[in-house]
Amino acid sequence: MIDEVLAAFLQEGIAIHLGTRNAALEPNGARAIAARVDGDGQHIEVFVPDVAVGPVLADLRDNGQAAVCFARPQDDRACQVKGVFASARPATQAEEPMVAGQWRGFLDQLAIIGIPGESTRPWIVWPCTAVRIRVTAVYSQTPGPDAGKRLS
Amino acid sequence: MSALGLETLTSCFQGLIPSMFFTCAADGTPNAAYLSHVDYVDASHVALSFQFFNKSRRNVAENPHALVRVIDPDTQQGWALRLRYVRSETEGEIFDRMALRIEAIASYCGLKGIFKLRAADIYEVRSVTKVPEEPGLPVVSDRRREQNGVFTMQALQNMAVRVNRAHGLEHLLDEILAGLEDIFGFTHSMILLPGERPGTLITIATRGYVEKGVGAEARFGEGITGMVAEARKPIRIAGLMRGMLYAYAARFRAEEAGWGPPQHRIPMPGLVNPASQLGVPLLVRGELVGVLCIESEIPYRFHEEDKVSVEVLGSFLAIAIQNAVMHEAAEGSSEPRSAAAGSLPAAMSAPPVRRREVSFHQADECVLVDGEYLIRGLPAKILRKLLLAHVTEGRTEFTNRELRLDKSLQLPEYKDNLETRLLLLRRRLDEKCPDIRLVPAGRGRFRLELRAPFGLVERP
Repeated sequence: MIDEVLAAFLQEGIAIHLGTRNAALEPNGARAIAARVDGDGQHIEVFVPDVAVGPVLADLRDNGQAAVCFARPQDDRACQVKGVFASARPATQAEEPMVAGQWRGFLDQLAIIGIPGESTRPWIVWPCTAVRIRVTAVYSQTPGPDAGKRLS
Repeated sequence: MSALGLETLTSCFQGLIPSMFFTCAADGTPNAAYLSHVDYVDASHVALSFQFFNKSRRNVAENPHALVRVIDPDTQQGWALRLRYVRSETEGEIFDRMALRIEAIASYCGLKGIFKLRAADIYEVRSVTKVPEEPGLPVVSDRRREQNGVFTMQALQNMAVRVNRAHGLEHLLDEILAGLEDIFGFTHSMILLPGERPGTLITIATRGYVEKGVGAEARFGEGITGMVAEARKPIRIAGLMRGMLYAYAARFRAEEAGWGPPQHRIPMPGLVNPASQLGVPLLVRGELVGVLCIESEIPYRFHEEDKVSVEVLGSFLAIAIQNAVMHEAAEGSSEPRSAAAGSLPAAMSAPPVRRREVSFHQADECVLVDGEYLIRGLPAKILRKLLLAHVTEGRTEFTNRELRLDKSLQLPEYKDNLETRLLLLRRRLDEKCPDIRLVPAGRGRFRLELRAPFGLVERP
């Protein structure tokens, strides 16, 4: 589902948001700090701060439906991964450098569009829960006529 | 304050930091997408821009529940707004305001007409909560607001004093821009007045730019100044760079849209990377006297609450400019008094430097100096007349009145704007050919000063 080129984009340190919905079809959402794509491209793991994971995890355990939006602020290249909840676990200390590295990449992106890194200093990025999602579709979301086009 | 407190979050609705929009299809599939802009409507409604058909929009048509996350650019506090889709508007005040902003950005990128607002989607806000993973910095907020709170009554009063002290149109325009920098801290600004051709503006005074750009023309609807002139409403763009990136991401380029600068055109002055722009129409009783544009490299320089102050400032400046124009026109129309005592014969008052070739191109009615474009239209015809009079009669002293009476210049009988055209010509010469100068000599008179010999050439 996700080839190496796309995987590199998803893991380079960009804006990530996880979208879910509850039984009443009301959406929920949380910022994710990092993402990791499985070698076979069939699963992704998104790292959501523990302070934010509650409502989205409840939705995922209820109905499994997930949408993850990835966007690079400097050029608005964006895509959305749709999928089904597979599992969730606490992120390990060994994973923290990877998560922190991607977050720094995102802060660098914010700096490019004029938002200094120190202004987001209070944002809570750790500890995280690793939410594993089985990928069912990938769509382009770069603004313009091709937005919404299915990539895989 | 309302129960939601939405009105305290207006800073979030600037488009500076991308917003996230979560929806859900009727079959239960969630959707997450970035939004270019969330607009404040009232204490319980927001409007989202609809530019392209997409999944989010289809979802809210099926299932009105939505969630949008915005970030306060002052504090970086994230807020979650639970929404319910109400309706889409394709006209009216909200639509016009959103469309204007989008078109200004699109126009700036050369994408006008391609990248436009289809509808303003109105949502009822059902709850507002803080996003737990994005806590803010209240201390930073207070400091920034203090730094940015520039439109105080004292500052407006100081500006008024400065404007009232100015003598003559040229001095007034320079004082306005200098005042904007000294009193308000706006280092990059420009004033455009209505151009010779209908539907155009001409840059008459600028401050803070390496290339002064005096004489640069903006068509109505083109760029922020042209958009302000067309809409006759102020436009404030925070996060312009973000908006432009969004527009560029739409995969169009100005060249592909068929836009190309016409020949003999002075580039508009401006910052290379403006992050905030504020354009204010200068209106007197509904008549457009000009446009004031302020730019900043700071992304969030102009606040929503500044808008009213800026409009007040704009109407005051408009009256001052119109008065100066009318006063100078009245002076220039009457029989001039005797020349100021002690005025020196000006021609060749400085040692010659190098010979300048001034060519008048009849087809375009424009003047080139040494092959470089100087000016066109009425100012070009005036320069030709003055140089011819100097060559054939040796004249160096001229009056506005004789220009007004000269049929060959074809000035309109009503509101000929001669004084502003002379000012424009003087400033272009100062910038591009200081060897030829027009020096005011008081009450509707001016002097031609030549610091180098010139050849006047007529071309078809």
